[in-house]
Amino acid sequence: MRERSLEHYRLARKNDVVLLQERNLAGIEIDTSKRIIEKGETTYRIISKSVREYQFIIPYKQPDEERIEVGQIFYIRDGRLIFLARVLDIQYDSNYDGKWDTTLRGTQFFDQDQIFNRVIAEPLGCVDTGGFRKSRTIPTKFSAVKKAEKEELRFLLEAMGDIEIGVLRNGSKWVEEMPVALHSDAMDHHMGIFATTGMGKSNFMKVFAASCMKLAAKGKSKFGLLVVDPHGEYLLGKNGSKGLMHLKNYESGLVCYTTDKKNATHPGVEELTVALDEIEPMDISVLYDWSSAQRDALESISRVFDSNWLDDLQTKEGLAAMVSEGFNEKTMGVISRRIKTIVEKNRYIDKTKSSIPNILAHLQEGKVVLVDIPRMSDRSELFLLSVISRCILEEYKQDAARGRKNCLITIEEAQRVLGEGNLTRFESIAREGRKFGVGLCAITQQPKLIDKQLLSQFNTLVVMGLGDRNDRSQLEESAKQDLSSLDIEIQTLEKGEAIISTLKIPFPVPAKIHRYEDYLGRLEREDRSDEKLITSGGFRPVLD
Amino acid sequence: MKIVHMSDSHLGFSNFNRVDKYGRNLVEEMIYQGFEQAVERIIHLKPDVLIHAGDVFHHVRPRIRPLYVFKRGLEKLQDAGISVVIISGNHDSPKSYSAISPFYIFEGMKDVSIAHKYQYDSFHLEGHTFHCIPFCLDPDDYIKEFSNIGRSGNDVLVMHGLVESLKNKKMRTVGEHELRDSLLKSDFDYIALGHYHGQTQISKNAWYSGSIEYFNFGEASDRKGILLADLEKGVVEQIEIKPKYMIDHPAIDCSGMSSAELSETLQNVCDPDRIKDHILRINLENVSRSAYRNLNHAKLSKLTSAALYFKIRIEYDDEKERIDDVPVNALRLHEEYTRFLEDQASRNMVSKSIKNDVKAYGSNLLKRAVEAHNIEAMDASE
Repeated sequence: MRERSLEHYRLARKNDVVLLQERNLAGIEIDTSKRIIEKGETTYRIISKSVREYQFIIPYKQPDEERIEVGQIFYIRDGRLIFLARVLDIQYDSNYDGKWDTTLRGTQFFDQDQIFNRVIAEPLGCVDTGGFRKSRTIPTKFSAVKKAEKEELRFLLEAMGDIEIGVLRNGSKWVEEMPVALHSDAMDHHMGIFATTGMGKSNFMKVFAASCMKLAAKGKSKFGLLVVDPHGEYLLGKNGSKGLMHLKNYESGLVCYTTDKKNATHPGVEELTVALDEIEPMDISVLYDWSSAQRDALESISRVFDSNWLDDLQTKEGLAAMVSEGFNEKTMGVISRRIKTIVEKNRYIDKTKSSIPNILAHLQEGKVVLVDIPRMSDRSELFLLSVISRCILEEYKQDAARGRKNCLITIEEAQRVLGEGNLTRFESIAREGRKFGVGLCAITQQPKLIDKQLLSQFNTLVVMGLGDRNDRSQLEESAKQDLSSLDIEIQTLEKGEAIISTLKIPFPVPAKIHRYEDYLGRLEREDRSDEKLITSGGFRPVLD
Repeated sequence: MKIVHMSDSHLGFSNFNRVDKYGRNLVEEMIYQGFEQAVERIIHLKPDVLIHAGDVFHHVRPRIRPLYVFKRGLEKLQDAGISVVIISGNHDSPKSYSAISPFYIFEGMKDVSIAHKYQYDSFHLEGHTFHCIPFCLDPDDYIKEFSNIGRSGNDVLVMHGLVESLKNKKMRTVGEHELRDSLLKSDFDYIALGHYHGQTQISKNAWYSGSIEYFNFGEASDRKGILLADLEKGVVEQIEIKPKYMIDHPAIDCSGMSSAELSETLQNVCDPDRIKDHILRINLENVSRSAYRNLNHAKLSKLTSAALYFKIRIEYDDEKERIDDVPVNALRLHEEYTRFLEDQASRNMVSKSIKNDVKAYGSNLLKRAVEAHNIEAMDASE
């Protein structure tokens, strides 16, 4: 009896016939040209590694349309579970050791079948009948890996919020049917938008504000959004782009204030005014670096004078009153001079009228409030932002009227005021705003300069490309969701692409942000005829 | 150029059921007289133009009397060579097909320009352009109509509605049209506003003239009258037509007062000379029921008979402290309903299986009901 040792069995599928072949180690010749596994079957199967990392191989040469990219999402169906994984890296790999790829071997460099690319993927979680959850197990080895399509990602639709900002991006392909939307509910927490110049930050803000306008116009908004625009690009657009005012269909969700005379001619845009008596010494104190004596004097002003302090301090009697309190005349002279500069420089400061009560009312109604301050100096901008945000916090600290909406204050170039060491300017909002329903939306190119503790309180992050490694590591250290694995992807983000990390969406989502002009066109086409609540009751007079 | 700015005459308004010996409502008569007094005063002031910024009539279908009073006033102004610019307000603008604007009657009168067709209109008088936006049917229309304004360099804007800066004032009523502050542009020589009954400056160039009369106790502290504006000098003069005749007496704490003490307190407050022809309300707090019951009410009536109207608002000491709930926005009843239902559901008062259906059906029904009702709601209450 011929002894035969079976090394192992392999299954091969050829022409739909399952063949069982045995291999004899005793010297019986086997036709090696006859394969028992087709080349294609070794690829796209999970081969390693652990609960925290999946690996599979793919052909080393792929047609353009099938090329795999960092950020792409794959799925592995295994029994009742669908595992999802996102590509983190793609590496050259082979079954050879040594310098095989530079060694001549017969007629070619290598045996093509033995080389491939290795895909490193990060498990996102798994979907079962109960929905999406983090995975605590691994898929069976050799399970097939396939590109996730909208069917497998459908669960994400349910996790999305109400503020649409773009569509899901799978690698560099967009899944049009899968909108990416932030949650209004998360907006009393701070939010961060991180992008280097030219990555589409302004476009993102316009899309975000437009979605908020839509919610506000429909009476569904849960927070008011304050956008202070020092670049004058959101109101009517700039350099051919469109602005928020162009969104006529939902214009009732927007209120605009401006310091620009030309923009103020529009019927829907109000000239910004801040009443003298609304300004407090603390608003001035954030503007300059004061000596401790000057700071003491500033802090005493509200004790010595009433709400008319700005005028009183400029008078001889006012000065005398402060000197009699023990403050140096020179100290008071500096303060007085600086205050005079601020009041004279900021023409929006008015004796009688103020836009701030209206701004507060609109924010509490959940509207988008745009404050357009083109060509304003850095200092004036900070001063204005300081006055408005202080008034907002004071208002929100009071008992809430029923139906009051939360508030989100955007701060451009946020590192100026939310940096480590200079947080004093917005400290109270940064630290305690959340308690009262006031959140900050910090926009910055340099997250590394933002106060670490504050950064860790950001619940929603929109990352739109950060070239600086320090910026990325600062974010990765502080973010509530783990972004460390996305380092490569963040580096490779293109204009208009973003990674969205927010608490209610189970994992950081790659998104393609809508182009504002396209989104605007879509919103303008939406039919609202059946929504109008306040109408004339159908009556249109017959006029001769 | 001088203009007089007045508004909110509400001719035809009647109240309090007090009648004169001919059976005419005293308040209604007083309002006609007030209007005539104002016309006399305006003629005396000799402005180039009189602006009436809306609500000439209290009703969409005024009776003959208010129409006649108004026509007579216009004729007097005409004779005095004063041009008149009028816009319609929420009270005198029809909101159904069954009525037409009362201002059709006055169209074509010499030197009388009226904007009452729910749309922007402009009149050129004495080198100035009067841009008029009367009451519009949809709140969004104001911005649209405003867009039609072309500046001439000497521009006066006339509008009727509540500007948003004033919206926290008590006057806000259901369905009220709000004028955005963004319409109050600083390049107008003057902005004449109507609708709010207290004389108020809104911005450097924008004023509510206020009404001449008091229409409810909420207005007791308002300044009343007309405004004389000199457009060249940029000066606005506040002119009183009638002395103040409404008193809403600050609350008196009556804790522990006997009926005799209560009577004495009222007597002190109701000095017949002080209250003669006045509309008076006295607010009493912490009043003992028995003390109030034992008051000599006949004596009290006699004491206050000199007043045009007298009312005691009383809060008894045994009344539980009222919980002042936030008033429900009548235009957002469907939201209120949704909140209510959610609350009920959270207490298991509504079955989960039907909750969503009930919510959707109910809120939709309320939404439609509010829409249908809105035509009437745009009228301020009587």
